Amino acid sequence: MSAVVISDVVKRYGALEVVHGINLAIEPKEFVVLVGPSGCGKSTTLRMVAGLEDISDGTISIGGREVNKVAPKDRDVAMVFQNYALYPHLDVAENIAFGLRVRRERREVVDKAVTEAAQILGLTEYLKRKPADLSGGQRQRVAMGRAIVRKPKVFLFDEPLSNLDAKLRTYMRAEIKRLHRRMEATSIYVTHDQVEAMTLADRIVIMSNGHIEQVGSPMEVFLEPANTFVASFIGSPPMNLVDAMVMNVDGVLHGVIASDDGGSNQSLPLPEAFAANAREGQVVKLGIRPEAMTVHAGEAPTIDCSIDLVEPLGAEALLHGRVNGQAFIAKAETPLDTAELWSVERLGIDVARMHVFDAETGKTLKTRG
Amino acid sequence: MKAILKGVSALALTAALVAPLAVSAQETTRIVDEPLELTMHFHFRDKYVYTQDWPVEQVVAEKTGIHIRNTASLATTSSRDAFNLLIASGNLPDIVGGDAGPTLKDDFIRYGLEGAFIPLDDLIEEHAPNLKAFFDSRPEVRQAISGPDGHIYFIPYVPDGKFSRGWFIRYDWLEKLGLEVPETPEEVYDVLVAFRDQDPNGNGIKDEVPYFARDEVDAVRLINLWDARVSGSERYGDFAIYDGKVRHPWAEENYKVGIGHVADWYAEGLIDKEVFTRGSRSREYLLGNNLGGMIHDWFASTATYNTALADEIEGFSLRPMLPPRTVSGDRFEDARRQQVQPAGWAISVTNEHPVETIKYFDFWFSPEGRILSNFGVEGLTYEMVDGKPQFTEEVLTSDTPVNAQLWEVGAQVPRGFWQDYEYERQWTNEIALEGIEMYEECDCLREEFLGVALNAEEKEIYDRYWPSILTYMTEMQQTWVLGAEDVDTGWDAYVERLNSMGYDRVIAVMQAAYDRQYGAQ
Amino acid sequence: MMQVRLSHYMRTLGEDLRRDWQLYLLVAPMIIWFLVFLYKPMHGLQIAFKDFSIFRGIEASPWVGLAHFQELFANELFIRSFWNTITISFLGLVFAFPVPIILALMFNEVQNALARRWAQTIVYLPHFISVVIVAGIVINFLSPSTGIVNTALGWFGIAPIYFLTQPEWFRPVFIGSSIWKEAGFESIVYLAAIAGVSPTLYESARVDGASRWQMVWRITLPCILPTIIIMLIIRIGNLVEVGFEYIILLYRPSTYQTADVVSTFIYRTGLQGTQYDLATAAGLFNAVIAFVLVYTANRISRKVSSTSLW
Repeated sequence: MSAVVISDVVKRYGALEVVHGINLAIEPKEFVVLVGPSGCGKSTTLRMVAGLEDISDGTISIGGREVNKVAPKDRDVAMVFQNYALYPHLDVAENIAFGLRVRRERREVVDKAVTEAAQILGLTEYLKRKPADLSGGQRQRVAMGRAIVRKPKVFLFDEPLSNLDAKLRTYMRAEIKRLHRRMEATSIYVTHDQVEAMTLADRIVIMSNGHIEQVGSPMEVFLEPANTFVASFIGSPPMNLVDAMVMNVDGVLHGVIASDDGGSNQSLPLPEAFAANAREGQVVKLGIRPEAMTVHAGEAPTIDCSIDLVEPLGAEALLHGRVNGQAFIAKAETPLDTAELWSVERLGIDVARMHVFDAETGKTLKTRG
Repeated sequence: MKAILKGVSALALTAALVAPLAVSAQETTRIVDEPLELTMHFHFRDKYVYTQDWPVEQVVAEKTGIHIRNTASLATTSSRDAFNLLIASGNLPDIVGGDAGPTLKDDFIRYGLEGAFIPLDDLIEEHAPNLKAFFDSRPEVRQAISGPDGHIYFIPYVPDGKFSRGWFIRYDWLEKLGLEVPETPEEVYDVLVAFRDQDPNGNGIKDEVPYFARDEVDAVRLINLWDARVSGSERYGDFAIYDGKVRHPWAEENYKVGIGHVADWYAEGLIDKEVFTRGSRSREYLLGNNLGGMIHDWFASTATYNTALADEIEGFSLRPMLPPRTVSGDRFEDARRQQVQPAGWAISVTNEHPVETIKYFDFWFSPEGRILSNFGVEGLTYEMVDGKPQFTEEVLTSDTPVNAQLWEVGAQVPRGFWQDYEYERQWTNEIALEGIEMYEECDCLREEFLGVALNAEEKEIYDRYWPSILTYMTEMQQTWVLGAEDVDTGWDAYVERLNSMGYDRVIAVMQAAYDRQYGAQ
Repeated sequence: MMQVRLSHYMRTLGEDLRRDWQLYLLVAPMIIWFLVFLYKPMHGLQIAFKDFSIFRGIEASPWVGLAHFQELFANELFIRSFWNTITISFLGLVFAFPVPIILALMFNEVQNALARRWAQTIVYLPHFISVVIVAGIVINFLSPSTGIVNTALGWFGIAPIYFLTQPEWFRPVFIGSSIWKEAGFESIVYLAAIAGVSPTLYESARVDGASRWQMVWRITLPCILPTIIIMLIIRIGNLVEVGFEYIILLYRPSTYQTADVVSTFIYRTGLQGTQYDLATAAGLFNAVIAFVLVYTANRISRKVSSTSLW
């Protein structure tokens, strides 16, 4: 039995529909991340699960029970908010204990739970401090502590790390992951950061404009994006999407990148998994991840390019350039002399890792299964 | 002084030279030959200022040659503030006048002593025959306005007429219940009880209010029946003179008796339960709803209810009655018109034409000036009939009250002038006049305490003790009437408390000032 | 040394003025207002120690030391009015102070926007009625013969009470009607404070299982506590001040014993009798007491709740 089932859920504010009938089943102990750009409906969906927003249409069940009309407190969920939602007048211990207090738990129970949570989160020495005297990361841990002590069926996280700086975010991300391992509680986590999504999720749900674009494990959505949206959203730098037309070159379907200045067209053979669904003359987008490009053009197919910017990141460098007028980013190992990279004129393409999408629908042409 | 006299004689000389050439009719009233402008601060009744546009003022300017330019701002909505601001600015015009609450008399004297206004005695003696004649005929007025140094610092507004308030009772109710006009305290009691119990208004409900009043002064007026006085003057809770001795009526033994009875009557429902809170609308409400039986109030305005309510209440007849005899067999009326108003005008120390100014003041006390200040301008507001001014039909029948019409032309404004009761008699209700006549015949008005001018040391004593004592006495008066404490049990403590609060010391300085001021008599 | 520092200070001030003159221009009206209307009149406070005559002016009036204060403290009516002021204010603090807070909390719970707007408007309205009219309404309502209150009491067989002439009723009437008049308007401050509480606190509490009542007690109230404390300190500063217009309209000699406050005392003995010096002395005494109270309240508050005016 699924822990949380979202079926045909719609959210409307007046005439404005922001979530268009989404379906999602979350298994027990699963860590699901809802990811997407702001305004995609991910937070709204989470808040409907929490009961903070009414469900306009469809149903949400938690533990097999429909909760559309159930008050938040009776849904057996705990939520961690982006701005921590700590009570400024209560100290850490009281903040953590809040949920138990209002449920009138016995004092010993509360104390034991708080001590435990504080230990797990490394807050033991801060128990008597007020939120104002804590750092951002500590506050976020308190917020999590408040959720933990409740031992809920489902944890809900609403962009919990967005207010932290990059370094702390990386650290807390790992904390959350560890915590989940330890607690083994079903979790729904909302973020706009695809790195967080990739690192944390058992399953990623990518949303845009109130629709679910793709659901899958991090590697699935990375390796097999269902459409151009997912392809460009997951991965950093994002996948290059190059306009091309399918043409038959020597009996093999190629993606031909037209020249913009009367120069020569360039073409790349379509991978087999895609070629089956492609037809001649079809307008497509070739999806090439920066890491599927190499400056050491060997046997592999190549394309000519011009490089207009090199960004050395240390171990590797990003090359910004153009192929027949279309911008792209490639990744390369940094040589000792970065000047070499400026003179690159040809890139090798790992065609096996190339994706092809229909330009009109944005959907992948890959044959499933 | 010499310079002024020189100037005066020179002026007088010129006047004498020019006089034969002047138009004969103006000869006697002309003060200066060349028009002279004097500045004056004159703010009154909180919203009016003196103006040259008044027809009366134009006539007088023409007759005397004195032109008055007002400096008081119409923008000020309190005559008291206007006066205080003027004094504080130190920038005094030639004349300061008008009204400004009950203390203006004291202010004229106080700032006169401090040097703001000049003493007028010598000027009156030399240049103001009308004022001199007036003061000679009314020495008590002169005494009343004198400062502690014996000097006069302002010319007051002297009201005329003796009677202000009197007793009124529902004659139609008396008749209906077969009762006579009450003559003794016992009869008053019986009448009030009958009003209370026998449903004189005939509506079947016991809602009659036997005795009622508008003002605090009249709320306890019934203490008169036990010889106690409410006040020595029209000011609420003023001192009174008992055989040449200044005392306060509320510290007298007969006050204890009177207030005790009033408290009993209040408890019995013979006096309006809301007598202290109903306020100024009570008369209108209680008479209009046919509830009130007996009242002590102003003659003129109370009498008008007979006409106003004639159509609504059948047989309504609220007529004056003589004050009932007291327990000691005396008969007196405690309320009367003030003989001197704390209003008028004074000459500033900066005035360069004191002689002309006092002559101007004097003009208003001349027969001609009195007519102008009382009746307005001939042909406009009055006509001469048999040598006496008579208001025109138009004025008497207008919707605007007569006095309001007169204010508009510049008559009856609180300049230093001598009122003529005739002005009011001409438009006073018949019933009120009847009552006034009745009271006049009775000749039972108590002497008014005209006030004293305290010197600095006396004033210090007075200011330190008196406000608190008066507060305490007022407080106890209502406490007793409302029955919160019994007078008989509380009286000794009351007297003791008054003494500890400095009553005797205040009485001593009042007496000293009184002797100084009126002792000559 | 001193001069060097001063000249340095003046120079930097001059530079600041040149650089940020727009900002100084913005603050100028407020500074001028303070100087003209609050600091300049302080010069006049000296008449509390002088035998003041408006004609002579402040400078020329002779000094009398503490004579006016001695006169005040020797006056049992002044002492009584002082304690009456404290009593009325204190009772007002106890009974009237919480009302706007409760009202604000209640408004906050009203979910229907229209109902809420109506309710708020209705309770704000009395604030805009002049005290003269309020006093008239109170007198009418409490009239023993025609007043609605006594009529209602009559239904229960209670004899009419002459509220306005009985000293023991003055304070309840005064404070009660003041609450009626001002509580709604005063609740605006607290509503604003409540609006400033982060909504996620409530959401978090809802998820955690708090009832609405618990949210009020455990979130709203603690979160607006700083505002409440500031208002309380201000109120304590006004403990010795009871607006005299309304008292004057409501009190009678028979209720002086509970109703006479310092401001009415000043009005009666000082202004009606033109004893400005005595009135100023009484006012100055009041101000000193008020300052001590505010200072103390602020100190205590800063210690106890770390909220303070300064």
